[in-house]
Amino acid sequence: MGTATGIIRALNSGIKHLAVKRFTLRYPEEKLKFVGDGYQFDPSTGVGIAGLKGRHLLFHDKCTGCQLCSIACEGVAEAIAMVKVPEEHKHNKKAIMPQIDYGKCVFCGLCVDACPFYALYMTNDYELSSFSKEGLIYTPAQLQVKPNVAQDSEIIITSRGASHG
Amino acid sequence: MTTELPSDIKPTSSKILLEKPSSDWLPPGLALQKVDERIMTLNVGPQHPGSGHMRLIVQIDGDYIVACDPDPGYVHRGEEKMAEYRNYITNIPHLERPVIHDSCNILYPYVLGVEELLGIEVPERAKYVRVIAAELNRCIYIMYWLAIYGIFLGHSTMFMWPTGDRELLIDLMEKMTGARVTHSHFIPGGVRNDLPSNFEDVCLRQVNYFEKRIKEYAAVFYDNPILISRTQNTGVLSRQDAIRLGVTGSVLRASGIDFDVRKKEPYDVYDELDIQSIVMKEGDAYARSKIPWLDMLDSCNIIRQALQKMPKSGSVRVKLKPNPKGKGFDTVYKRVESGRGSLGCYIVSDGKPEPYRLKLSVPSFRNLIALPYLLKGEKLGNMPSVYWSLNYWPVEADR
Repeated sequence: MGTATGIIRALNSGIKHLAVKRFTLRYPEEKLKFVGDGYQFDPSTGVGIAGLKGRHLLFHDKCTGCQLCSIACEGVAEAIAMVKVPEEHKHNKKAIMPQIDYGKCVFCGLCVDACPFYALYMTNDYELSSFSKEGLIYTPAQLQVKPNVAQDSEIIITSRGASHG
Repeated sequence: MTTELPSDIKPTSSKILLEKPSSDWLPPGLALQKVDERIMTLNVGPQHPGSGHMRLIVQIDGDYIVACDPDPGYVHRGEEKMAEYRNYITNIPHLERPVIHDSCNILYPYVLGVEELLGIEVPERAKYVRVIAAELNRCIYIMYWLAIYGIFLGHSTMFMWPTGDRELLIDLMEKMTGARVTHSHFIPGGVRNDLPSNFEDVCLRQVNYFEKRIKEYAAVFYDNPILISRTQNTGVLSRQDAIRLGVTGSVLRASGIDFDVRKKEPYDVYDELDIQSIVMKEGDAYARSKIPWLDMLDSCNIIRQALQKMPKSGSVRVKLKPNPKGKGFDTVYKRVESGRGSLGCYIVSDGKPEPYRLKLSVPSFRNLIALPYLLKGEKLGNMPSVYWSLNYWPVEADR
């Protein structure tokens, strides 16, 4: 193959892409859809349930304040601190619950694996930016709130190429 | 410490690497050298986009390189020492940090080693899930590498296309593991979670489209006469030198040696899958840049085979005791084929929940050794194409 033919072939393969669909996701308007409601862990079988490892969700009625999530985080990010909560639960005599610093969290999900009471999940919420470092620290009350996320964009493959739709 | 070197290949690197450090030793680049009016010393890096997080001390005579002394170590994090203070499970998130875009493959030897220390047998389905994850990760790594190779050579299309198409596989890994990079998916005893429902169909569809896309790269990049003229016959590494310098992975296979850990020492279920190990004889920068691309096509085949042979249901993880520990003093060495070459992990256990010593033998560092030999006599303009064709990732070399 001559030099000219090679260059023309290279240019041609680029020109063909004028007809190919745009693959880019227009982010703030469109958001990717994820499988499930976030990463969870079933302590009875010892196997996780697939999902995005995003912001945590804490169930106050299940948390016993056993600190296993905090111990699991010790060698990883040291993002979990156990703090006093005002409410009283029969199963949580010490009245302590995890508080997570998302400035430190690496989203590995080992705290979810460590929880034997199914009290800590991860959710599809990944937009955690804040103007201050303190704003990244989520208290047990904030972790209790279920995130409201609208994510519906999926990769669609057609004869004209792949696109987000 | 004097290093024994092969007699017929002379090092082009400065004397610092070879001589015993004396009391007036200075770090590379700071030592006073005899002034030669013809030779100019250039510091490429460590903040230069053409070198990564490292410095290349290049001595040039006009446009020709006389000597090159790579100076890694700017992003040393002490991963191996850190591993001695964490238990076998909490080691997982930080051990994948050196190569976040190839995180499954850097965890693979560690996980295999810990399994042997603990004496765990992994379920069949988990082995297949691991192979699929490792192969997808290999493609993700190579696409990133290819994008940077493209922009190093001034080919901005080859930067845009792989970066975009990489998203297809990142999306699959996100569905599978819940994270786009740094998956923390492998764990001693299997994988963290089972595949989501309908994953097999989505994976097959996206991998098929991905394969179709990367085949288009031939016309725009690999058959492009401009790339061929810039990379062919530059930085030739002969078969003998490749063996003696101890390079690995795509660099070794580009020099005509058929060595692939997946084939020679199969781990998990690689012995049940049909793997082509791609070999080229030229040993130049063109061959070294083409082999990873051919590897990706082979990886697509492996993923399809694994999806077909995988048991449709079953356990994916063995339940571990809290704080798992080995039985007394024990050592284990495991290696796998990562995106860059054979990646080994040596673990010494003294019966505690933490490893006594953990050593990573990384392919990036082994491939970097060849750089001073390859660059001698090349033009300075060829430096980026030879340097990045070594399939090198600075952060991994520094650990």
